[in-house]
Amino acid sequence: MSRPATYFVRTAVWGAALIVPLALAALTGVLVTRGAGALDANLFFGGVPALQAMTGRVPVWDGIWPACAGTLSLLGLTMLLALGPGIGCGIYLATSTASRAKAVLGFAVDLLAGIPSIVMGLFGFTMLLMLRRTIAPNAGASLLLAACCLALLVLPVLVSTTRAALESLPRQLHLTGAAMGLGKWQTLRHILLPSSARGILGGILLAAGRAAEDTAVIMLTGAVANAGLPAGIFSRFEALPFTIFYRSSQYRDALELEQGFATTLVLLVLSLSLLAGASKLQRTLEQRWQGIRDDD
Amino acid sequence: MRFDRNRIADVTFGASALVTGLAVAAIFGFLFLFALPVFTGGQGLSILSGVWNPGRGQFGILPMLAASLCVALSALALGWPLALGLCCGIRGFLPRPIGRLLLMLLRGMTAFPTVVYGFAAIFLLVPIMREGLGRGSGLSWATAGLVLSLVILPTMALVMDAGMRQTERRLRLTGAALGFTREQTMTHLVLPACRKNLLAAAALGFGRAIGDTLIPLMLAGNAPQWPSAAWDSIRTLTAHIGLVLATDSNSAAYGSVFVAGCLLLLVNVTVQLCLRSLLRTGETA
Amino acid sequence: MFRGLRVFMIVCLTMAMTLSVSLASAAPLDAFKGKQGTVDIAGGTAHIPVMKEAAKRIMTVNPDIRISIAGGGSGVGVQQVGEGLVQIGNTGRALSSDEVAKYGLVSFAFAIDGVAVVINPANGVNALTAAQVKDIYAGKITNWKELGGEDRAISLYTRDEASGTREVFAKKLLAKGDVAPSANVVPSNGAMKTAVAQDPGAIGYVGIGHIDSTVKAPTMDGMTPSQKNAANGTYTITRKLYMNTKGEPAGVVKDFIDYVFTPEGAEIIRASGYIPVAK
Repeated sequence: MSRPATYFVRTAVWGAALIVPLALAALTGVLVTRGAGALDANLFFGGVPALQAMTGRVPVWDGIWPACAGTLSLLGLTMLLALGPGIGCGIYLATSTASRAKAVLGFAVDLLAGIPSIVMGLFGFTMLLMLRRTIAPNAGASLLLAACCLALLVLPVLVSTTRAALESLPRQLHLTGAAMGLGKWQTLRHILLPSSARGILGGILLAAGRAAEDTAVIMLTGAVANAGLPAGIFSRFEALPFTIFYRSSQYRDALELEQGFATTLVLLVLSLSLLAGASKLQRTLEQRWQGIRDDD
Repeated sequence: MRFDRNRIADVTFGASALVTGLAVAAIFGFLFLFALPVFTGGQGLSILSGVWNPGRGQFGILPMLAASLCVALSALALGWPLALGLCCGIRGFLPRPIGRLLLMLLRGMTAFPTVVYGFAAIFLLVPIMREGLGRGSGLSWATAGLVLSLVILPTMALVMDAGMRQTERRLRLTGAALGFTREQTMTHLVLPACRKNLLAAAALGFGRAIGDTLIPLMLAGNAPQWPSAAWDSIRTLTAHIGLVLATDSNSAAYGSVFVAGCLLLLVNVTVQLCLRSLLRTGETA
Repeated sequence: MFRGLRVFMIVCLTMAMTLSVSLASAAPLDAFKGKQGTVDIAGGTAHIPVMKEAAKRIMTVNPDIRISIAGGGSGVGVQQVGEGLVQIGNTGRALSSDEVAKYGLVSFAFAIDGVAVVINPANGVNALTAAQVKDIYAGKITNWKELGGEDRAISLYTRDEASGTREVFAKKLLAKGDVAPSANVVPSNGAMKTAVAQDPGAIGYVGIGHIDSTVKAPTMDGMTPSQKNAANGTYTITRKLYMNTKGEPAGVVKDFIDYVFTPEGAEIIRASGYIPVAK
């Protein structure tokens, strides 16, 4: 009949089911076996006592604590910059009725989502050059510039998850608001946003995960190999992904290499926990509205 | 008072939408602006020539474009069938619990940082490729292509899965009525119905592959030559931007970086337009 | 009683000597006490170990001073210090007259480094000539067996175009010959070292300060690459390491540069594998 077609698909299925987990296990295995040995306080603080290192009284030069602090500050600043425009844009796309504007904006967001991260970093670099030539001659590569570029990078994630969360709510909720005589903003504030809050939070975590792991953008806009703890938003900083990239090609001895592996494990744990949080939130959102939606 | 708040809300959301739109326009605008002097400043179309040798004054980035296309297409060639296989496995070919595990694995893979893929591959895959192929240094087109296919796999698989889930639910009864087994329903009914989704996943994967920087930068060797064999060391447009941004800011090498950026943006726009046209037909508002 | 007096005098002398030594060594870092400021450094990758150690000591004494260090190669150093993006730009080559004229840069040579060809320790070849290196990099010699080694293809490694190390290598060893387009490109001295250490068929070039037990440096035209030979002139493929500033340095930047030229700085330079040069 069409045995070959089914046969082909079956080969693909079994091939994939074997190759992909195997490849992933091999890669993770390399990281764990060569890096787990270095996961200790020395990795983070490089011989400096923990409390002094964390408060910045003694600079840490051989540990990844400054990079961790840098990544966390970068995350915080990026989300601060991206939340407003991202969620606002998502709400606009989900609730507006101007279909022409919606189509154009939707296309713009898709374009933004597809821009390679190094092009985004290049854009940040050109912005820096433009600023230096015009209004801010002392501007330099900094935490603020990197955060702005990362915010642009994660904007599409926020927009699409907010939009999806709002659109996945049953239509009855929109009608409930209108039936009670509430205006658009009040419907949003009292009914729609609280109901979809979990989905939006999930989107925020996804965006944070994306921002935490990106290297190409920060490489061009302010991350350096050694800078100590971040000293304000106008200074250069260290970040975990950049430290990993740097270590991969320039380790000076076996210990530094082992620590490089351990750093990848740290970043992996960070990304996976952000993702786990996001999917838990999104799943509870789905479950909440499952019953009502199926009735539709 | 109530009226005003609604207006304020509308304006705020409209403003954020405007900011987003302006940001996109700014990105395209600035990059084209900075790439323009390359063409008007006497260097002209030689930037699109085929040899990159700054020592001799030749700044052609065509080898880099070819390399980007080669790596992306080979990653797609390996990754797309694997993604399809995984999806079919999750949606029926494999027993339920294994399918669920695979889905969890796919979701987890989306959070795996690319730099970590690169790091692990340098120490695991490069020596294997070097000894296995017997030629080259292990840093090559093949190595980068293999790891890149792993990187784009989850995106493609999740898009395919989203489409297949709906279609499978719809067509399950039809298949049963025709006397098909679950596998046959998948192969003969669901997959053809999902054709648009599968193509869209391919386009998305291609876009992602051609835009990736770290894997080619760390694993492909970065030699500015035309790709001719799988064990050749090559430099993609993205790795080129990363490497060259270090040289003097007024020479043509620097200008080539902006041209490379514009080429990447053009590829992105093309991919998005393809996606739009694929997913529009058959969509119900 | 005389013995007691003698012992007492010896003790006093010893105390005086140790006191003077500790006073003398405290002096260089004292210059940084109580000051504030930022020093951003970028450029040559050979300089990084020295910069890093100096910055570590300074920032330990005075955490209010912030020093950040980036690599990128000599080209980056010139561009960034010229554009004012960093305060000190490091180069592994002398500045060209265009660069000095365009940006108004001032150079401070602080160390001598050599550039040596390196190969993997498992490689049997022990001696190379400049002519052979030229042919290897031009792509004419492609297998180690043509040089007396095992039957293995040669993997070429070279640096990016911004590199001062590359420029010195091209000028002095390749005599401006071409590098084959199939050569793998690595972005720094450290990266070159690890690449060559991992690939049995590799050949590359690094600053002598980066040579350690993980790579092997064959003799070049009979000259053995080592710091000693670079200092006494036996090894002729040398270059100076420069710190460059835009205009005369001032404030914390000047203090940093002066610190590198102190005996303590010289000790750091020597520990990193280079030979200090007086100001």
